[in-house]
Amino acid sequence: MANPHRYYEIRCPIHGFISLNDWEWEVISQPAFQRLRRIRQLAWTDYVYPGAMHTRFEHSLGVMHTATLLYDAIRTSSENVLTSELAYNDAGLKRDRQLVRFAALLHDVGHAPFSHASEDLMPDQGNGKRYAHEDYSVAVIRNELRKAIEEHPLNGNYGFHAEDIAALIEGSARAKQSVFWRDLISGQMDADRMDYLLRDSYHAGVQYGRFDLHRLISTIRAIPGAEGHPPRLGIIEGGVHAAEALVLARYFMFTQVYFHKTRVAYDVHLRGAMKELLPNGHFPRPIDGELAQFLLWDDWKVLGLLSDGKGGEHGSRIATRNHYRRIFHTPEVSVEKDLDQLQTVREKLGKLLVAEEPASKSWYKTGMPDIPVVNDIDEKTVRPLSEHSNVVANLKANNQVFLYTKPEDVPKAKKIVGEVMEHARSA
Amino acid sequence: MPDLREARLALIPVLAENSSYGYIGRTALMKYMYFLQTLRGLPLGYRFTLYSYGPFDSDVLADLGSAETLNAIDSEAVMYPGGYGYQIKPGNKAKWLKDRAAAFLDKHKSDVKWVADKFGSLTSPQLELVSTIIYVDREAAQMKEKLKLADLSNRVHEVKPHFTGAQIFSFAEGLAKDKLLQSVR
Repeated sequence: MANPHRYYEIRCPIHGFISLNDWEWEVISQPAFQRLRRIRQLAWTDYVYPGAMHTRFEHSLGVMHTATLLYDAIRTSSENVLTSELAYNDAGLKRDRQLVRFAALLHDVGHAPFSHASEDLMPDQGNGKRYAHEDYSVAVIRNELRKAIEEHPLNGNYGFHAEDIAALIEGSARAKQSVFWRDLISGQMDADRMDYLLRDSYHAGVQYGRFDLHRLISTIRAIPGAEGHPPRLGIIEGGVHAAEALVLARYFMFTQVYFHKTRVAYDVHLRGAMKELLPNGHFPRPIDGELAQFLLWDDWKVLGLLSDGKGGEHGSRIATRNHYRRIFHTPEVSVEKDLDQLQTVREKLGKLLVAEEPASKSWYKTGMPDIPVVNDIDEKTVRPLSEHSNVVANLKANNQVFLYTKPEDVPKAKKIVGEVMEHARSA
Repeated sequence: MPDLREARLALIPVLAENSSYGYIGRTALMKYMYFLQTLRGLPLGYRFTLYSYGPFDSDVLADLGSAETLNAIDSEAVMYPGGYGYQIKPGNKAKWLKDRAAAFLDKHKSDVKWVADKFGSLTSPQLELVSTIIYVDREAAQMKEKLKLADLSNRVHEVKPHFTGAQIFSFAEGLAKDKLLQSVR
């Protein structure tokens, strides 16, 4: 048997070297994880930013690395909160460090081809709600990765069940006190967001997603729970501008990359093409007997089918770069009159309107940041980031809406939109 | 705006109006949406998952942001010793937004009132606790488990150790009496 105490290092363009233990290496080596090499992080964003060809594989490694930096920083700075309010001891903290690493590594293992772009084609659960990629991630962990997680010799030190990792990712009570760490996997200042902003920015060749990661890490804290609340993650005052930059990076990346008009058009085409390619128009479910079928779907398979001329009109538009054109959009901060005008344009365009994409539907949409900041002098005084940052306080949610028409209909649609706008001006 | 989204946004000022304080906090907003969807079956499409502060979906905060952008609500941070909270009140475009979702709001008027009557007097830590009890209960029910009240309370205690076992049991007992739990035998 290979040495179970061996360490490995993988080069990462964002973080330098990422270290893994033999256990993690074993998990990464499983086909279900290797599949992430064939799932692009940002779908067809390369049609706008040609460098954005990176995959969920490198992002997953980056999230594990970032989550570990955050975990270690919190343990160093806030061990008293963890021990007094969550009853951690050394063994518990060592265990949960590994748990967080696995959860961060595997949180995206259930992504569909081209990541979020095709998530709309995940089937209904039978209760009116669609499955999401997290449902597939936990199913993969409980099934395809279970043996690699539970049977590695290093697990003799931890006694993990695959279920422990799945419970933390999906937000189950089975995660027990470890649920505290969910904020590192999916929260305001999670490792996922920190990694994807930096990584997507790097590969797209833009600067919008950059912020001072290491300053943020050095200022993160577990803040004691006040008045019956549990402890939560926040920062000390020294991290205010790093946190502000994180919030702004998210905003800029949304407007410049994730919600770029052409990128959004290709999401529409991908959904349309996938509907044609998938049996019954949706992915297999994350259940016994169907999960393995789901995992056969990756970017390579979809690209092969598109290359064979399949995928209908939308597949053909992707292949020939003949995408829908944005014909109208509301402002980034739309108010009543903008939505009224949108409704008029919508009605006047009639059948020329082929897609409507609101920012609110995007997985990357920006919310209302609420990052607690601890006072440097009096640790019991905690205020929100918006009280420290005028920029954050005045940031409004982007509720923009894009309307699309076929390229061949642009002249007709442009004329109609022009008339509506002229009427609005004269009124 | 798609109908569902419009309905979700319009619910925010309505929940604030139904509060006896004339405003609600962010915790109350999150948990009321959870109660409306889970206990009253409103088809809101949120995907709540468990955090140490109870069931949470970032889409609720995204909706809050959108409602504020539309001036349908006003939200203000309020400081108090050792912490802070938010006061969310109807804004000057609340009526406009409510009119757009009038059919939905009318249909679920009694549900909103039920939530306000039932949970309106709870503090935010109590709302976190009660919603966590319901979350843990629904998770057990989904697994077809039948639990004793004490077992359910113990599970909740593992997630929320800053509450005493007796506090958790007392709230769980109240919910069971109101027949709001599904896994308790």
